[in-house]
Amino acid sequence: MSLHYASNDWYPVADAACLARGPRKTRLLGTDLEVLGPFDHPVVTDMGGRCFPVQVRYNHLWTTIGDDPRPLFDIPEADEPGRRHVPCGVVRVKCSPLRAVENFLDIAHFPFVHTGILGAEPHTEVAAYKAEIREDVDEVWATNISFYQPQAAKSAAGGITTRYEYRVPAPTAAVLYKTCPPRPEAMDVIAIFVQPRSETDCDVWPWMALYDDTTNFADLAQFQQEIFLQDRSILENQRPVKLPLDPKLEIPTRADMTSIAYRRWLKRRGAYYGALTDQT
Amino acid sequence: MPSMPVGLSRDLPPKRVMRASVGGQDIVVWRASNGDIAAWDNRCPHRGMALSHGFVRGNALACLYHGWHYEQSGRCSYIPAHPDLDPPATIHTTRFGVTERDGVIWVDTTDTAKPGMLTEPLDPLRSLIAEVSEAAVEAACHSTPFEGEMPQPSGSGLYALGTIRLALLTNPLGPNRTQVTVLTSPGLSLQTRLALSRWCETLRRNAEATGTGGA
Ligand code: FES
Ligand SMILES: [Fe+2]
Repeated sequence: MSLHYASNDWYPVADAACLARGPRKTRLLGTDLEVLGPFDHPVVTDMGGRCFPVQVRYNHLWTTIGDDPRPLFDIPEADEPGRRHVPCGVVRVKCSPLRAVENFLDIAHFPFVHTGILGAEPHTEVAAYKAEIREDVDEVWATNISFYQPQAAKSAAGGITTRYEYRVPAPTAAVLYKTCPPRPEAMDVIAIFVQPRSETDCDVWPWMALYDDTTNFADLAQFQQEIFLQDRSILENQRPVKLPLDPKLEIPTRADMTSIAYRRWLKRRGAYYGALTDQT
Repeated sequence: MPSMPVGLSRDLPPKRVMRASVGGQDIVVWRASNGDIAAWDNRCPHRGMALSHGFVRGNALACLYHGWHYEQSGRCSYIPAHPDLDPPATIHTTRFGVTERDGVIWVDTTDTAKPGMLTEPLDPLRSLIAEVSEAAVEAACHSTPFEGEMPQPSGSGLYALGTIRLALLTNPLGPNRTQVTVLTSPGLSLQTRLALSRWCETLRRNAEATGTGGA
């Protein structure tokens, strides 16, 4: 049942750089797939030769294995002029795809996991912010977040208090808006698109749309990759591996309001793939 | 589950954290700056992070993920995201029995830890892991000579290696994985202790070569 729900979403299965190296053998929701280039005319099949629909968005190739797919979410900022789009490669993580998203929504870990970059002691306090399920769009949003960061972005010259907003448009995707050091009035966009290989392992594709015309492309992608590798050391050591939706199993505090909203939202839409539920 | 030997006291100095396992239960064992020891389920109650990746701050164990502090009693004493909050007493780790004797750390997941009684004073030599069953380790001990002579069983899990007395304490980690804690007669020379340590390596190799492991 959880698989049925999940199968009707779209998922990233390749970017241009990986397809340029040749066909990609991969897995999505437990199904082995082969992705063949070129990137602008791709073909996605299973091992029996069945073809799946494809679309190219946000520098990634997306597919779905469901019979009745929901539309791929929109990121309107992707079309804003002046933003550089940076696909940051892929990171394989042995964790639930939902734990990977939840970690991305969490700021309280910055001083401990991304020490000296996204956070530093003694600046550990998470001030009250707003987290909600927006009924009109059926998405999770967290707003009014601010946090002190020693090196908020590749383009940041020193420590600043960064403003954050989060948006969860699909169970396995999250978009972060954060203060853009060179243009204080604008917000950088950083997203993660998670490809669930199974309920307990995933490929994570970070992607950015930035106002940074000075840092070179490889450095930008590497900055994001390094941060995600730090997250991986956490994600592969959480138990249970699947994300518990029963609020009694893990103890949240006020800093976890986004996580609480995310779990509640998953539960009410029945997005149980990668979740620990009464049914599983 | 009886109390099990999970390692040597000297391998866990103050401010150190180690991971252990008893009867399939994943465990964190750590020592505070003041020397106190604690053994808990290796899981942070906040978001399930393995506490064995944590670090000791003063007399508390801090979780690596969000830095929550847990005192030796298991109670959460500090949440860095809310520095002014006094954490509710309901936030605490799952505690296990732990005690130390003869330089060995004993853990019990169901009760107060009761160390295995040695019939004579012995010194800790080393702790090692063999990828075979407990029975295969014991079998190999009977057939691995030390300086040309076979160890002679002398009751209560003790062996005589010439004039040296030796105890093998085993903690089964799985059907083909065993933690072995080795103790010897006290007051041996460094040279003899090194020779015994090498004998332990040979014992492990023999056990792994002939044992039920790897099947
Ligand atoms: S998981 Fe341990 S402090 Fe958050
Ligand atoms: Fe992180």
